[in-house]
Amino acid sequence: MRTVSVAAAALLAGMMTSVSGGALAQERTVKITGFGAKSGVVRVFGVNSEAAMKAAAEEINKAGGVTLGDDAKAKLSVEFLDDRCNAEEGISVIRRIASSDAFVAVGPTCSNVAESLFGILQKKVGDASDSGLQFPVFADVAAKGGLAAISEWAFRNVPSELEMYKSLFAWLKREHPNLKTIYGGVEKDFAHSNATYGVMKKQAEENGFQLLGTGEWLLNDTNFSTQVREMRRANPEIVAISAHPFTTCGVLREMDRQGVKPKLLIGLTSSSSIETLQGCAKQAEGIIIPTSFAPVTAEAKTAAENVSKQGGSMDLHSAAAYEIMFILKDVIESQKIMAKPDTVQADRNKMRQGLAALKETKGLLGTVGRTNDREAIKPYLYVYAKDGSWQVLHKPSS
Amino acid sequence: MDFYLGLAQVIGVHTLLGLSAYCVLLTGQVSLAQAAFFAVGAYVAAILTVIFKWHLFAALGVSAVVSGLTACAVGFPALRVKGLMLVVATLAFGEAVRLFFFNFTYQIQAGELKIGPHGAEGFRQIRYFPEHGWSTFDVLMFIWLMVAIVMACLWWLDQSRAGAVMRAVGEDEVAAHSSGINVTAVKVLAMTIGGVIAGIGGGIFAHYTTHIEHVQFGVILATFAIAYPILGGLSNVFGTLLAVIFIQGFLIEGLRFLGDWRNLLFGALIVLAMNLRPRGFLDAGGVASLKRMLFAGKESSGA
Repeated sequence: MRTVSVAAAALLAGMMTSVSGGALAQERTVKITGFGAKSGVVRVFGVNSEAAMKAAAEEINKAGGVTLGDDAKAKLSVEFLDDRCNAEEGISVIRRIASSDAFVAVGPTCSNVAESLFGILQKKVGDASDSGLQFPVFADVAAKGGLAAISEWAFRNVPSELEMYKSLFAWLKREHPNLKTIYGGVEKDFAHSNATYGVMKKQAEENGFQLLGTGEWLLNDTNFSTQVREMRRANPEIVAISAHPFTTCGVLREMDRQGVKPKLLIGLTSSSSIETLQGCAKQAEGIIIPTSFAPVTAEAKTAAENVSKQGGSMDLHSAAAYEIMFILKDVIESQKIMAKPDTVQADRNKMRQGLAALKETKGLLGTVGRTNDREAIKPYLYVYAKDGSWQVLHKPSS
Repeated sequence: MDFYLGLAQVIGVHTLLGLSAYCVLLTGQVSLAQAAFFAVGAYVAAILTVIFKWHLFAALGVSAVVSGLTACAVGFPALRVKGLMLVVATLAFGEAVRLFFFNFTYQIQAGELKIGPHGAEGFRQIRYFPEHGWSTFDVLMFIWLMVAIVMACLWWLDQSRAGAVMRAVGEDEVAAHSSGINVTAVKVLAMTIGGVIAGIGGGIFAHYTTHIEHVQFGVILATFAIAYPILGGLSNVFGTLLAVIFIQGFLIEGLRFLGDWRNLLFGALIVLAMNLRPRGFLDAGGVASLKRMLFAGKESSGA
């Protein structure tokens, strides 16, 4: 009886080993961790990034997954961590991800978080005197200019707002030569909005527009009557608002209430999203925004539908997260990343080298160029709000 | 491992912030200015190491002095008011300091880059630790050395006559005054000590986050500062440490896997904790029980 039991146990163990071994061979999974704000006022950006990453992973997996360095096939899975748009939490999250077998992370949402966590990364690769973290981070949303320059381990797939607004104001000057005066509005306490307002203001002035004044408010503000009253007094022909959808809508509603009707409205890139239309479609009618995403190609339309199925919406930021997943797939394959626990640091180095070597990548609106300072040069177009949806207004030839 | 070391750093720095409020609370005052002192320490220390290339220790020393002096200066006028009025006064001061840094720009050219605080966009590249080869463990050891020193000093203060005087003022200001205690001096002293501790904490905070901006030093941080000692209990310094571990270690990091539910649970668990331990995690009764247990253990082992 004892011999039978031992034999049965051995047989069972053998079967389990072969089953699990086979299963392992078939079900090897590479986890890509994203992080960003999934709580607070900017929560929607994290929700959209997560949905976009999951939609892209599903597409990649449907097409057979990713081929690893040992020629094994692996499926991609996505985990997304909330940093609450808080720098300290962002650092903790990146340390948590870097303590795992991950070889890259995608995020963050907020530029202030990117500032801090790019700061804890090693500044120059191979600098033995710099004890910073050696871990590649690929930003999808954090849009403040020049962030990737902080560390050679930092990469971004965000559009250049300088180029976009430079082009937009030059186009406005050509197309609307009769418009001369402009009034600005800025969400002063949000790094991205504030930095981009500087860009808008400079480009407006360089193109000969006369700045009549600037209204300032904070991300959590809900009352804009004073700022809009000043705006009404100035009676500008153009109003340029550098703010996210929540306060952009607040200001637009207040402008509607006070009867401020400029001939032209300009918005921040991040406001070319569904949230603006959900919040104030009527008041936002006609607002012109440069963006690096619109569902104008078949691929972009499919991607937007897939992201929607995952519970998010596609905009320029989530489109960047979607594209990043495909970029990571290509780099995993070209750099022969092994994705094994004993090759973690080697995989991280390979990932960094692979990302740094990219000269161009495939984007939803066309080819995306890569700069030496690890930033993206993305194709863009101008959209405007019309009847509750974003319509393409103009596609610059660049 | 790096993650846990990083988390221990966060707990250490927040313990310093909590201890800065602990001193003030001992005298019965509720101050929402601790985040402002923390901000002063952060900016002063960062300016000294980044722009003037000072050694970190010297920079922290100066940040402690400047924050302490700021707290002392605030202490005199602010402590003329009591209770809720003091809360409002210190809150207003905290916002004034935050808005000062919101508009404060002082940059110098360093090669192709400009370095230094840049108003609303903050102060980036405060990279003293990585640039001087400090590992995460080195930074952790340094932070906890500072925490240990501060806790030891406060422990000693608590056991001394000065501590008894501070508690007497906190328990009953009128009785303390009638016993000949200079109540204003005690309160200003407590505020100054709190400012010094917040200055050290802020200086370290700036260097481990590598980037600071005004928004980090707002009402939320000020609320956390007083929440730590209140939640932990004012019977001794270890209560604050326990509360920081509970909030930063458990509620923020431990529950991160819960995703969207974390924020909901965050508030609910704090309310639950306050209901279960209304006088803090480590109240006088708890400390007495612990002492009894320890002494009983010693007596039985001695027997």
